[in-house]
Amino acid sequence: MIGSRVRQLATVGAAVGLSAGLVLTGLSVGTASASGVPGLTSSSITIGATVPLTGIASPGYNEVAKAARAVFLYVNKKHVAGLRQINYILKDDCYGTPGSGCTGVPNTSTQTNALLSTPGGLFATVGSLGTPTQDSVRALLKSHGTPQLFVNSGSKDWNNPSTYPGLFGFQQSYEVESKILAKYMKTAYAGKKICFLGQSDDFGTDGYQGLTEGGITPANGFATYNVALLAIQGAKYFTPLIRNLQTASCKVVFLDTIPGATAAALGNAKALGFSPQWVISSVGSDPITVNKALKGKGSEVNAVSFAEFPASTDTAANAKLWKTWIVKVLTADKADFPGFTAAKLDGNMVYGASFGVAFVEALKAAGANFTQASFVHLLETTTFNQTPSLVPLQYTSSNHQGLNGGYIDKVKSASSTAVVNPTVYVTNSGVGAVTTAPSKSSGMPSWLK
Amino acid sequence: MTGRHPLKGLGDVWDAATAPLWALRIRHPVIWRFACSVVLTSLALLGTYFVDPNTNYNMAIAASMSIVILGLSFLTGASGQVSLGNGAFMGVGAFTMAIWANHHTTTPIAVTLVISLAAGGAVGLLIGLPATRLRGPYLAGMTITFALAFPNLLTLFNSWTGGDSGLQLPTLVAAPQWLVDLLGPGASALAPDDMWYADICIVTVGIAFFLMANLFSSRTGRAMRLVRDNEVAAELAGVSLPHARVLAFVVSAAYAGLGGALATIVSNSVSPSTYNLSLSITILSLLVIGGMGTLSGALIGGVIFAYSGSGVTWIVNQTGIDPYGNLATNLSGIIFGALLMVTILIAPFGIAGTTKMLTGRASQKRRAARLLPSRS
Amino acid sequence: MDGFLTSRILSDLLYGVTDGVTISLVALSLVLIWRSTNVLNFAQGAMAMFATYVGMGLLSYNLAYWWCVLISVVAGMALGGLVERTVVRRLYGKPELNPIVVMVGLLLVLESTAAAIWGSTARSLPTPFSFEYWQIGGKPFGLSPFAVFEIIAAVLAAAAIGALFRFTKIGLQLRASALAPEVSRLLGVRVGRMLTLGWVLASGVGALAAVLVSSDISGLTPGVMDTIFVFGFVAAAIGGLESPVGALVVGIALGILDAFITDFWNPNYVTIATLALLVVVLMIRPQGLFSKRIARRV
Repeated sequence: MIGSRVRQLATVGAAVGLSAGLVLTGLSVGTASASGVPGLTSSSITIGATVPLTGIASPGYNEVAKAARAVFLYVNKKHVAGLRQINYILKDDCYGTPGSGCTGVPNTSTQTNALLSTPGGLFATVGSLGTPTQDSVRALLKSHGTPQLFVNSGSKDWNNPSTYPGLFGFQQSYEVESKILAKYMKTAYAGKKICFLGQSDDFGTDGYQGLTEGGITPANGFATYNVALLAIQGAKYFTPLIRNLQTASCKVVFLDTIPGATAAALGNAKALGFSPQWVISSVGSDPITVNKALKGKGSEVNAVSFAEFPASTDTAANAKLWKTWIVKVLTADKADFPGFTAAKLDGNMVYGASFGVAFVEALKAAGANFTQASFVHLLETTTFNQTPSLVPLQYTSSNHQGLNGGYIDKVKSASSTAVVNPTVYVTNSGVGAVTTAPSKSSGMPSWLK
Repeated sequence: MTGRHPLKGLGDVWDAATAPLWALRIRHPVIWRFACSVVLTSLALLGTYFVDPNTNYNMAIAASMSIVILGLSFLTGASGQVSLGNGAFMGVGAFTMAIWANHHTTTPIAVTLVISLAAGGAVGLLIGLPATRLRGPYLAGMTITFALAFPNLLTLFNSWTGGDSGLQLPTLVAAPQWLVDLLGPGASALAPDDMWYADICIVTVGIAFFLMANLFSSRTGRAMRLVRDNEVAAELAGVSLPHARVLAFVVSAAYAGLGGALATIVSNSVSPSTYNLSLSITILSLLVIGGMGTLSGALIGGVIFAYSGSGVTWIVNQTGIDPYGNLATNLSGIIFGALLMVTILIAPFGIAGTTKMLTGRASQKRRAARLLPSRS
Repeated sequence: MDGFLTSRILSDLLYGVTDGVTISLVALSLVLIWRSTNVLNFAQGAMAMFATYVGMGLLSYNLAYWWCVLISVVAGMALGGLVERTVVRRLYGKPELNPIVVMVGLLLVLESTAAAIWGSTARSLPTPFSFEYWQIGGKPFGLSPFAVFEIIAAVLAAAAIGALFRFTKIGLQLRASALAPEVSRLLGVRVGRMLTLGWVLASGVGALAAVLVSSDISGLTPGVMDTIFVFGFVAAAIGGLESPVGALVVGIALGILDAFITDFWNPNYVTIATLALLVVVLMIRPQGLFSKRIARRV
């Protein structure tokens, strides 16, 4: 179409102006930091994480990274000698799920790119959450030499040092947890019919594998649910799944479920009048969720679970030491935890505080001069036995999984858990036996107090 | 009116200078479009050298989405069919790229892009065939059902699509060595890859838009617009209505697939929950807001998409809303929805269309003066 | 006898009917709007959801459940009337594309606004009916008190609408305005008001459906009506967008089909089967199974 002179001029002018604008902004590209190591200066270190601060996975899970941030704020304020100021950037990837304001291209890649573009560079990601989300950025981070530390997920994908040398998990794998739970179930529920309901991805398959390796074969086989369907249909999706368990007369049900799915399962079971002994993965056994699903009658449920951190009513000395400290640290972070009290402490916050502590201890040990590669090497050669977890945190050059043990606890009330068996067990992902932990975490570094 | 306005003299100089360009545009439209494509694409490629990696990344995303929007623009603008399922077609292309790359690691990117385009078109054919018998709301409703069922279809083919976790590309699509050398050692680590993504997407946009411009003006394109405006006249003119409709669907779905494949390259991964009903609605919104039936409208829509996240963040920061609160999370939905409604009610041709109309009206007289005698 | 009552087939049938009645209500509301104004209201589910949030929000002011239900339905009716008057009015006579796009925009605005105001976490409502299925001989029977409530509420609502259309003067005027607006105007019918009334009634029905769905075990979320809206559309389209009876019958049939697919096959297949069914029916009989109108041939 023939247009007007004005439009022609405007088009040309806009093109010129836009190009000039882009060129000018582009010329001020951020350069690598003075020390040559991305994200590192003589006085500070910049790290980041992509986590679901909003969206369907966020309730509960968004507290994890905030608790870590609280730890970093605390040590920053203390100005510990030999410890840089930690700059922790959180990016919301809302787990890329539908209907929560996040659409389009997977947010995790976009947000990870944004982290990597931070002026001065990014030293590492610390505590990013999710299996599919973190799988999708492994190659990206590797190509930039950026370590991917303490991924918040129990998948075995983080234990692949030959392909991804900078990638580290933190919590025990789903397989390890199920093996230890299976050992407990074999004695506690001997002779009873045990059934399974798990997530359809590696969370469920690894959990099921751990059960069989631990000597338990669920009577109903590998029954699964699909997270996407749960997000769309809500709790009603679980009604036929729970009905199947009820019809099969299961006496013990192992739930390898995320908190939302746990709630759906328990709520439906209550509606159907089905009350077996529940055994729930640590991923989804948060007491608040359990109780909400059962409208306050959660403590009647006797849900048993696995814990890699002390139960909230554990009276052991180390448990009390760290609990008091974590409450102090979170109360001081008024932005993330306004009006915090000890009664509000839950497992997600303890988790976040723990990897925060681990990072801080590693940073102190790294000293004045280090690189991304030497930091990774430090992680592989140091044992962190002064952290809130029950077993020490230890990596090797061939094992980047993280914690490898814990004990059995149970849901005690709407907000607390209790120890069932104080013996701490460890095992590996594989056919190795479940054994008593050779050593436990104990104490706190004096500079951290 | 006495005396000539002094600026009119400049106007005459401009007219004279641009006259040969107009001649080319009217007499040889295809060559004109080709020249424009080449010039604009080259300018954009040049631009990617100078801008920062984050802008390049966003430009890549904008470009991939603009191709999807252009496809829908053709379907809705040219042939008058509303589809609420183009997010799913985008997903078809995205997954095809990932699946193919995982099984055939040596295929060049350009070839895989074409394969993804073809896959999108094939699924478009499957949906388009039954769609020929449907009208307006029935068609929209059918596409919405398809969009809803698409994530389930993906889970059905678990072993190919990786289930809930989706797929990753086997290796990162990395910038070739000559590009890394071009940028030199002073550039940040991200720069070559992001520039490469932007370049791939820009070149694809150049080719895709060029082809679409020709299709729109061709006999097929005119036939489709006739079908849209007056079916009886179209039938009398010998246009096969079902053929035209299905072709529109296939082209639109193919373009969506191409955009999806590019998105997979840029994000290095693909997951089923991304290509949901919500995305299809977003694409429609961007089309309407950008401007239906225009090339620039599709580009505007793509840019809005790429920067909507930071745009919302900017608004949140300026207005002091809690960035982690419910309002901030859902602000983009509120704004898009409101813009969509307002645009249709007040300015149905979107940003690009309305701009064209406003500036076009002033030139009625000039147009007459500039027309060449042999055409009208 | 006991065996039959707790059998899988009967149970699935009953679950299907329970689900189907809410689909039927949504389908009915879509048909009512289509018949009166020739618009397919893509925002129907979202409007119903929003009205439910408004009504149920009053629970925090210690208002009883039943009052909140009533207010939700009234709010739905008000919202329907408002949307017709302000938005849809401007779209009459414009290209067919416009109402579709505008209603989709409204859908987006309502869902995002609801999430912005009330959050996306599911809210469980204080439904006064238990979800526990009755037991016969220790095995669950396919109905619970809540399921019975759902079925009765839906049947009453459909009957009331049917009676209104068939036996009252207003109903006659509504039908006349939809069928022959010019003649009706000549006969003194306020056609504009009838169009609004059509929307008001339809949105009331839709709001009731949303109340029922939200009172169920999944609770109330901004997206609670998304899937059921699509199923409602499918039921309405298969039955024929002009046929209220078709909407009701196909809605229940669709619910039953989905229950059987979920149980005997896989919940994942439900949407796929629904899509396939829609495609097949529309290819054979594009005007719908129960429609009396001639097919709009290409």
